[in-house]
Amino acid sequence: MTELIDVVEALLFASDSPVEAERIQEVLELHSAAAARELVSRLRERLDSEGRALQVMEAGGGFRLVTRPEVAQWLVKLARSRTRSRLSRPALETLAIIAYRQPVSRPEVDAIRGVNSEAVLDNLLDRRMIRIAGRKESPGRPFLYETTREFLVAFGLRDVADLPKVEGELVVPEPVPSEGGAGDGRAAGPVPEPGAGEVTAAADSPQQDSGSGGPGVAPRG
Amino acid sequence: MTDTATTAPSEQSGLTVRVEAFVGPLDLLLHLCRTNEMDLSRMSVRAITDQYLAHLESVRFQDLETAGAFMVMAATLIYLKSKLLLPAGPDDDEEALDEEALLLKQELEQRLKEYARIKALGGWLGEREAEQALLFGRTVAELPPPEDIPLEDLSIHLLQRALQRLIDEQKRQAPRDVEPNPLSVLERMNEILELLRHTWSLLFSSVAGAERIRAEWVVTLLALLELVRLGQARARQADLFGEIVIEQHAVSVKEPNPQDQQDRGAPAND
Repeated sequence: MTELIDVVEALLFASDSPVEAERIQEVLELHSAAAARELVSRLRERLDSEGRALQVMEAGGGFRLVTRPEVAQWLVKLARSRTRSRLSRPALETLAIIAYRQPVSRPEVDAIRGVNSEAVLDNLLDRRMIRIAGRKESPGRPFLYETTREFLVAFGLRDVADLPKVEGELVVPEPVPSEGGAGDGRAAGPVPEPGAGEVTAAADSPQQDSGSGGPGVAPRG
Repeated sequence: MTDTATTAPSEQSGLTVRVEAFVGPLDLLLHLCRTNEMDLSRMSVRAITDQYLAHLESVRFQDLETAGAFMVMAATLIYLKSKLLLPAGPDDDEEALDEEALLLKQELEQRLKEYARIKALGGWLGEREAEQALLFGRTVAELPPPEDIPLEDLSIHLLQRALQRLIDEQKRQAPRDVEPNPLSVLERMNEILELLRHTWSLLFSSVAGAERIRAEWVVTLLALLELVRLGQARARQADLFGEIVIEQHAVSVKEPNPQDQQDRGAPAND
């Protein structure tokens, strides 16, 4: 006899994105989302008490089934790669600005960081950590950026309110007239930025089991 | 292991600065304030400016634009410091600035505090990301795709990328026009000189080609003008839109009357 809790487990197992409580309610024809939540928390307890390799995680407004950190080393071995590529420091800082001030335009991001953020933003767009939310009604009508659900999932956040509180508000300095501060002004320019190579890890040493071979010649899949 | 003192002799100066990768001028400034245990709202312009400039020499810029950002900050600091060099009133405190400079400094401090916060948050996100990297979940759906694709998830960016891919694909498939070697003014100049070696004068149209290809004519004209400028050839045009005659420049034969030469529009060679 299949129980609802088993179905929930199956839903989370098969889905590639977090499954919302409402979606579970819909699929299982439950009377409320709270009932779905209740099932999920029972599933979580069950997985925890049985000491299974999987756990329920709440992120991006839904629930996911993910492995426990303790088994990560074997999964890495299975995948034959050291780590997943991580975001660079400029990318993380830019992401922080967007997460707190969204929707926010590039001139504002540039002003806070003190450097051009074009390449970093492109990289974050490519990784679907952010997306274009519209245009700002200011000179030049720059794009506005906001974080995505993928961002929440990648960082294990239920929603942006999960971010740590900052004392005081994040104030964007007013664009400074010409000779004043650094950071404003140089708007245009397709020059790739420091953060261009965002892939920090993984690149330097792709699992070498072939012995002496120089970096980069290791056999890959 | 490499940071032991044994590597010191390679350094010429006594001061060895361990350079982190500073991602921007604010990053460097923040680092300096931290190492000096300085309150961000009481930045000492004197101390910071010198150190900033010292660090600037060792920073390796990834590109021109970043370098520019560092330089603008340097300029701002130097400007502030220059204000301090002016004699201050007797009742001023140690770092007396006029109103404008004070505002500039306060704004800088404000931005620095803001950046410090962002840097901390970025660090927090980084830790978070590292934790999440240890958790593996499904990233590719095991289920068949839904019949209607949720359009709200499609950002302009992704659509634009998809379109760009299509366009690129098309471009690859379209037959390419093979361009002849681009014309070079320098080569054309040499050609003219070569021709002039065997003949006293020649017609512009014979060099530029009777097909009247625009690029040919432009390059030939530029080459000719350059030769005239260099004094290696002379050009003469009898009437408006008429044929231009290119002549050897008689370097060896000094003409008695330079007036004659100037009439033909050839600038005096030096």
